[in-house]
Amino acid sequence: MSFLADYIYYIGAFGLILIGLYIILVKHNLIKVIIGLGILDTGVNLFLISIGYIAKGTAPIFSKPGIDSEYMVDPVPQALVLTAIVIGVAVLALALSLAIRLYQHYGTLNLRKIREQRW
Amino acid sequence: MVNPVLLIAVPLGLAFTIPLFALFWKDIAKYTPPVALGFNLIVSLLLLPKVFENPVIVSISGWRPPFCINLVAGPVGVLFSAIIALVGLLVSIYALDYIKEGATEKYHMLYLLLLTGATGVVLTGDIFNLFVFFEILCISSYALVAYLRDKAGIESAVKYLIQGAVGSSLLLIGIGLLYGQFGTLNMADIAEKIASASPIALFVPMVLLITGLGVEAAIFPLNAWLPDAHSSAPSSISAILSGIAIEVGLYAVARVTFTIFGAQSFLLFLAFLGIVTLLIGEMCAFSQNNIKRMLAYSSIGQIGLILFALAIATSYGVTGGLFQLVSHTLSKALLFLAAGYMIYHAGSLDISALEGMGKKMPLTCLAFTIGVFSLVGLPPFIGFPSKFLVVRAALATKETYFCVLVGLALLGTVIEGAYFFRVVQVLYFKGGKVNPEIKDAPVAALIPMFIFVLLIVVVGIYPKLITDVLNSAASELLGRIEYIKAVLGSIL
Repeated sequence: MSFLADYIYYIGAFGLILIGLYIILVKHNLIKVIIGLGILDTGVNLFLISIGYIAKGTAPIFSKPGIDSEYMVDPVPQALVLTAIVIGVAVLALALSLAIRLYQHYGTLNLRKIREQRW
Repeated sequence: MVNPVLLIAVPLGLAFTIPLFALFWKDIAKYTPPVALGFNLIVSLLLLPKVFENPVIVSISGWRPPFCINLVAGPVGVLFSAIIALVGLLVSIYALDYIKEGATEKYHMLYLLLLTGATGVVLTGDIFNLFVFFEILCISSYALVAYLRDKAGIESAVKYLIQGAVGSSLLLIGIGLLYGQFGTLNMADIAEKIASASPIALFVPMVLLITGLGVEAAIFPLNAWLPDAHSSAPSSISAILSGIAIEVGLYAVARVTFTIFGAQSFLLFLAFLGIVTLLIGEMCAFSQNNIKRMLAYSSIGQIGLILFALAIATSYGVTGGLFQLVSHTLSKALLFLAAGYMIYHAGSLDISALEGMGKKMPLTCLAFTIGVFSLVGLPPFIGFPSKFLVVRAALATKETYFCVLVGLALLGTVIEGAYFFRVVQVLYFKGGKVNPEIKDAPVAALIPMFIFVLLIVVVGIYPKLITDVLNSAASELLGRIEYIKAVLGSIL
């Protein structure tokens, strides 16, 4: 059980990443694929956060007395995740606006039916 | 002393002012990118002689590396930023007249952002910063592929976006794994600490990083988006995507393998992938009837050749790879620009629709033909010395597998010659019914095309002009220890 307790965040993060990849690879509907991208992004963000996380840790503010540096959470991954979330939002917004255009052209969002371009 | 930060800050700042100023005066949108890129070109050329001895390290916000985000303006970075600025400048002059429809101010803003992202990727010394600039490049190119809002453009942009987004997620996981192991994001710092880690623990992040970057670099199993995206974007954007975006991806792959991981045992696999990419690209290009798709597949082939040359990893090999990269950038940008107006007048993307264009648009077709000859590798043009260097480097290793692989690469060149000369034959030697009202491309398009032609011929006749720069760039890519020392300096 201690393995589960120690690595639960990593397991959750990679679970989300695999679910996202599965949706992207298998689903035919573009909106579902975009949802898959969102889940994949969330998984990656959770993974980044859990790298720096310490159970019962606090923010690394050195001016506050009485906090050991062992219990300080690494702030760098949190800064990375803020950036990654913003990038993810931009990509999802662009993907959804492209989905609207795609529907206007083809009348369907089924990616298996939209096959004008091929090798 | 010019500060390399300006190379990123000025175009980024100007890009975001475009939509604002365009409210008052619409034409300012199209004149801003040439100004910004001209500035970048001047700054890069001023920096170039200074970085030969020691790379310029810029620490943002006053902390020393590895505690800050730093820029490393070494020979590689400045060489790439000069090429990006040069090609970007010429293509933006071409776009003055070429881009007429749609929301033009958005086009120019995204165009400048794309090139800012590319410049940032080649200059940064921090791996997460590299990811951020990579995303700037990717997101603007997704949007630009869909710029025409036609069926093909939207469909390819969707494909490109999905594959690109998965690629960048993999890249981010790789970065996270590296940070988890070493507690640092500075590339030199990671490179220094990597010797202490076990090879198994390094393999997963390396594969994730190379796969993630390989999507943008169009290495073989990851390049399904490229022919669609490059062929349905506006021609000026195809020139930038083929000439700059995939090269920047390839630079990132080289930086990760050479500098961060120093992965000698992985290189043979990359060389093999390069040759597979080359053969598949050339064979698919051979069977195309659509001229832009043909050019896009030929880009895949060329990327394979560059990857192969870089993976030889001797100083000859990397010099040859960088030379081939420069020659591909110049020739392919020229080909897409020339093809843009030929398609515009022919009204069709089919090669057969271009019959007899040589008589109607003599200057454009001359430029196209010179681009073709250079790409195939005929002597007075830049493609000849670059391919020659690659072949010589592969033979100089005296390893059997490199000699076999370079033989396959030459086979690829033969196929390349076959399909490209077919187009030249259609242009000049097939009569056909040609609309008599077709005129040559406008002056604003001919000037950048003939500057490309001039560069191709001059460097082709006198390759010494750039080999010194390429040599020192190659030694920077191969010299891990020097890179680490230059960045971390006194801390070591």
